[in-house]
Amino acid sequence: MPDWSAVVRDRLLLLDLPAKERQEVVTELAAHLEDLYEEEMRKGLSEPEARENVTSELVRWRKLARDIHSAKLTEGIMNARTRQLWLPGLVSLATSMFFLMILIQISMQPRYLGRSPLQMVLLPWLALLPLCGAGGAYLSRRGGGYRWTRLAAGLFPTILLFVLCSILVVTHLLVPAQPRLWYGSLAVALGIVLPTASLLLGSLPFLRSRGHETRSVIS
Amino acid sequence: MTKRIRSKIARGSAELAILALLAEQSLYGFEISKRIEERTGGVLHFTLASLYPMLYELEKRGWIAGRWEANQAGRDRRYYCLTPTGKKELVPLRREWNFFFQALDCLAGVTNA
Repeated sequence: MPDWSAVVRDRLLLLDLPAKERQEVVTELAAHLEDLYEEEMRKGLSEPEARENVTSELVRWRKLARDIHSAKLTEGIMNARTRQLWLPGLVSLATSMFFLMILIQISMQPRYLGRSPLQMVLLPWLALLPLCGAGGAYLSRRGGGYRWTRLAAGLFPTILLFVLCSILVVTHLLVPAQPRLWYGSLAVALGIVLPTASLLLGSLPFLRSRGHETRSVIS
Repeated sequence: MTKRIRSKIARGSAELAILALLAEQSLYGFEISKRIEERTGGVLHFTLASLYPMLYELEKRGWIAGRWEANQAGRDRRYYCLTPTGKKELVPLRREWNFFFQALDCLAGVTNA
């Protein structure tokens, strides 16, 4: 008989629950598969046929992990959207703004006054942004977020910047006699690209699924 | 919208099916799915992915409670039973579904179809 516990454990790597509770879920689901397999065998099916029938239950593990996670989790004051997007996004935004503020403060120290803002603020900020993106994407994944939600949480600061920039551009189109506003919005638009790339770099490791929960064939 | 309504109906009927079964006796997950399938002639079918999140959700609400026990074959299985809160919730749930079917019958004549 296949080791159903190992099969379930392997596929539920994404299930983010306390160890004891997680083990209990794995044991229970494995027992279900074991019963199903034995029943198929009792019907007179061969071992490979029984295994194949049981395997048909083993699809969409990522969704199952998410459903179990949200069923087990006591929501309290936070719903799924807050846990998966808004809170991680705000963490990403707050840490990026915190780093920017600290770098600006440092650049204003008398001994650094002669140096360019590019050297003192922008480049170090870009170097720190992957941490912010990683924090946002990690928290979103921890909250059971989909890949796109994790990406949105990681890139939250630049998404917000993009929205503000779009408002500026639209404002310019409606009020054309403001050339400074136009150049300003263009500069911000260009300034979005590099921070986005930097945040994306940090978010990438958390966009992948943990383990092989999408495999559908039992070896 | 249609999908959401269908999903809500399916979810509601699944809750009722599980609670009604557990009102009779304590059962573990596999038994619950088998009983439901047998007693509905295969019309209602629970997969692993549809059953367990539902059981955990009902347990979180405090309507059912699970405990590990050995089954007839001596293997540990998690048996679920209806809690006093679950028993209370089952009464209006049954009534709601009864109203729902009566209303649907008046509208669409589903009983004699």
